[in-house]
Amino acid sequence: MTHVMNMKQMEQKLQKADRKQSLLYLFCNFMALMIISAYSALMFSPTVQTIFPEGGDSAKQMYMIFVMTLIGCVVFTIYALGLFFRHKSGQLGILMALGASRRRLAPGLFREVLVLSSTSAVAGIVAGFPFVWIIWQGFRLILVDSSEMVLSFDLKCLFVSVLFFLLVVGFACLMAWRYLRKTNIMEVIREEHINEPVKELGRWCGPVGLVLILIGAVMGYGTPFLCDEWFHMYPPSWLSIFYAPVLVGLYMVMLHTVVHGWRSHRKNPYKNIVSRSMMKFQGRQTVNNLIVVTLLIAGACFGIFYLPANGVSAMVRYANQAYDYFYHYRADQNVPDQEAVEALAGKYGLALKDWNECEYITLGMGQVSIIQEEDSNHYTKEYVVMNKEEKVLSEDAYRVLTGQDADVEPGTYMNITDTDETSLYTNNNAREFTNMVTRKQLDTEFAGYLHNNLLSDQVGCSVLSNEDYALISEGLTDDWKGRFVQFNIDGKDNYQFANEFYYLFVNSFDKSCELPYYYDRVQKIRDNEAGEVYWGDTEDMTEVSFEKLDSFSFRVFWVYQPQFRILSQNDFLRSVAVLFMMFLFICIVCMLTALVVCYTRCQTIALNNSYIFDDLKKLGASPEFLSKEVRSQCKNVFKVPTIIGMTAIYMFFIMILYANDGRMLWAEMLALLVCLGILGLLAVIVYAVYRVSVKTIKRQLGI
Amino acid sequence: MLYVKDLYKSYEVGKNKYPVLKGIDFHVEQGEFVAVMGPSGSGKTTLLNCISCYIPFEKGSITVGGVKLAGQNEETLANIRNTKLGFVFQDFMLLDGLTIRENILIPRIVQGEVNKEAEQLADQLATMFGISHILNKYPAEISGGEKQRAAVARSLINNPLIILADEPTGNLDSKSSRTVIETFGNAKAKMNATIFMVTHDSFAASFCDRVVLLKDGNIYRQLEKSGNRSEFQDELLDALKEMSE
Repeated sequence: MTHVMNMKQMEQKLQKADRKQSLLYLFCNFMALMIISAYSALMFSPTVQTIFPEGGDSAKQMYMIFVMTLIGCVVFTIYALGLFFRHKSGQLGILMALGASRRRLAPGLFREVLVLSSTSAVAGIVAGFPFVWIIWQGFRLILVDSSEMVLSFDLKCLFVSVLFFLLVVGFACLMAWRYLRKTNIMEVIREEHINEPVKELGRWCGPVGLVLILIGAVMGYGTPFLCDEWFHMYPPSWLSIFYAPVLVGLYMVMLHTVVHGWRSHRKNPYKNIVSRSMMKFQGRQTVNNLIVVTLLIAGACFGIFYLPANGVSAMVRYANQAYDYFYHYRADQNVPDQEAVEALAGKYGLALKDWNECEYITLGMGQVSIIQEEDSNHYTKEYVVMNKEEKVLSEDAYRVLTGQDADVEPGTYMNITDTDETSLYTNNNAREFTNMVTRKQLDTEFAGYLHNNLLSDQVGCSVLSNEDYALISEGLTDDWKGRFVQFNIDGKDNYQFANEFYYLFVNSFDKSCELPYYYDRVQKIRDNEAGEVYWGDTEDMTEVSFEKLDSFSFRVFWVYQPQFRILSQNDFLRSVAVLFMMFLFICIVCMLTALVVCYTRCQTIALNNSYIFDDLKKLGASPEFLSKEVRSQCKNVFKVPTIIGMTAIYMFFIMILYANDGRMLWAEMLALLVCLGILGLLAVIVYAVYRVSVKTIKRQLGI
Repeated sequence: MLYVKDLYKSYEVGKNKYPVLKGIDFHVEQGEFVAVMGPSGSGKTTLLNCISCYIPFEKGSITVGGVKLAGQNEETLANIRNTKLGFVFQDFMLLDGLTIRENILIPRIVQGEVNKEAEQLADQLATMFGISHILNKYPAEISGGEKQRAAVARSLINNPLIILADEPTGNLDSKSSRTVIETFGNAKAKMNATIFMVTHDSFAASFCDRVVLLKDGNIYRQLEKSGNRSEFQDELLDALKEMSE
């Protein structure tokens, strides 16, 4: 006898029979929620938030890729839901045809979609935390570890996940309601087999799409510069709208791929005709999928490019450093002298050579300053006396340090920049220097640049003639004076020595030097004298602490951070670990999502088109022919987004590097080469998943 | 039993409107076995779908067992489909996840009235149509002919006023087609079932009491069986030939 006794039991049995479809939907939802939950958990974690400078480029890049991933995951879950309902529609239609009313079907249908969507979403959100934890611990175990890499979570991260959860559940209910509202029952029954062709455009749409992508990238990247140049305005965030042609272009390129393909079929119009038509008649789904995957792959590449972009230039800089050891300190600090350093080096069997040291002074420098209007993005430029701190050397001191003559005329100054002239700030318009103790001013005029990599730092360093230097330094107290020191190791350097010297050096400073390089004492005096509180004395400024000598903020932002080559080379990854690992994580997450979407798409090809493959078999198609058709379908799913996503982001990256300073430095070219290698590696991973997908589909289709 | 008066229905594709039914008038009496024939695009399936309350129609009226379909709400139409109509589709439309017995019982389950009596009726129908041996099997495990006989049994489980069949032999070989048509005959003879069938198959139609020929959305001619089945099939073929000229 039958076990079916009522509607609920029948529905439960049908759900059990459809578990393959349900599992696919569960899997898609789970993956999307897990990825978003993991990404936001890491992004909002105190571990990352304390390292990423607020409003900095790295943070913007992280948020931008998050938005791309979020869009990708939203489209993906909607797609998965659509697939689920397409399959479900046949069953719903039959029950409607046999007299089940909307009211009769609603409880079961809503129960099913609510259970499926909410359990998978909750499971995904929860799984996001162990997922990110495991990956992060893996990084710590295999790649790099530091005290800053200890992962902690902030529950704020749940905000995005909960919003996504509501969207998933809400959309599932909306879709269920939409199906129940349908009056044409035949349409519901046939829904599963209804094709979704896209609106065809001519063969021009592909090339035009490529041009639009290019225009969008240039416009999106260039508009903020123009906004700054023309309107003296900090670019508002809505300017990102100028990137919109990229999306339109991407859609057109994908449409072209699906409708026409990129190969000419004139010679052999019947080649791949089956796979092309299969793609074409599920065009809407296919185009959506291709766009999502392209965005995700682009996001993954953009994330991973952060590593070579920053790592290669740092490594090149360390390798080309003129001296093994270079540092400076304030004259009122009790820093180890040459004898003490030599004694320490002797402990490690090292001898010092090329020891040079000389005095510098710190003056107030006049400068054209940017003043932002209140409650507005607009700014004005205005010359301000005593605008900033500047380290100043005499001609003689410069010669001692660099071995080069400066030849600075009295009444002028020369500013020191690096050999690539990448650190040309606005230090070329000072009309006077101010002794901050006596307030004596020295009228001056910019006389050009000098080049030295060690002396060009974020604070800035200039050179005065010996006469002017002597004149303006009169009456300066030790806290406005300092010394530059540089030396080499005779023979092979020793990391242990560098490390011990580093701690000895830092510990010799008192609390008054516990400052980041952007804490400007001249600005503070100016603001205080104007009765204002200097922003560096508020909580707005990121602090550095002698309690956290190994922290990223201390190593990067401390104003007297020494440059010890062996230490920098060995500790680089450790000091930027959180930044680098965050971007590596972003790459992994985006790539994983892209591959899951591709794999799922291939699965649906097998599910939706199985009857076509059956028909082809009946028509005598050989296993080889069928395999070719499967490969052709999957190839487009994997190949086109990979090529377009990788190429577009690589070109964009080249543009960024070039547009930064209007040229390409060789360190940047080296970084581009490394990026190319990474793209190759990612392409191999995509290819491997493609092979697995083809194998799985062939097994499912019995080929 | 079934009255169709001045029925109009058209489809819209983009901005274009295509009339499919252009004022159809006919009726089917209790216990009658009627077929509708006609070339592709003549409006056969659209007519059946309108009677089945699957798609809305624009003008005219359809009355089933004294109840007019136009203007009824969704709940009432669902109830009519469930209690007054029985359906047989070309592609069977059995639910793969249920056994044949459960499939036969679907209209009762939808009604919420599965009891011993319903189960016994399902078994009786299965016996009557020669499918009692497959009652515990799933659709994927049986032949097309068996699936269609199960579908006929399902259409009768609620003792409907009329069975609506859309190309019931369209997916079957000749042997299975014959069996299915005989099943309908059986239902008519033993249960006084009223059957309204859309078909392309003159052999299947020749089992009917009456055949309505449709052409371009209008009734072209109606033929009533007066002699034996074979003669009636010849008569049908002649009429179809005449219609296509």
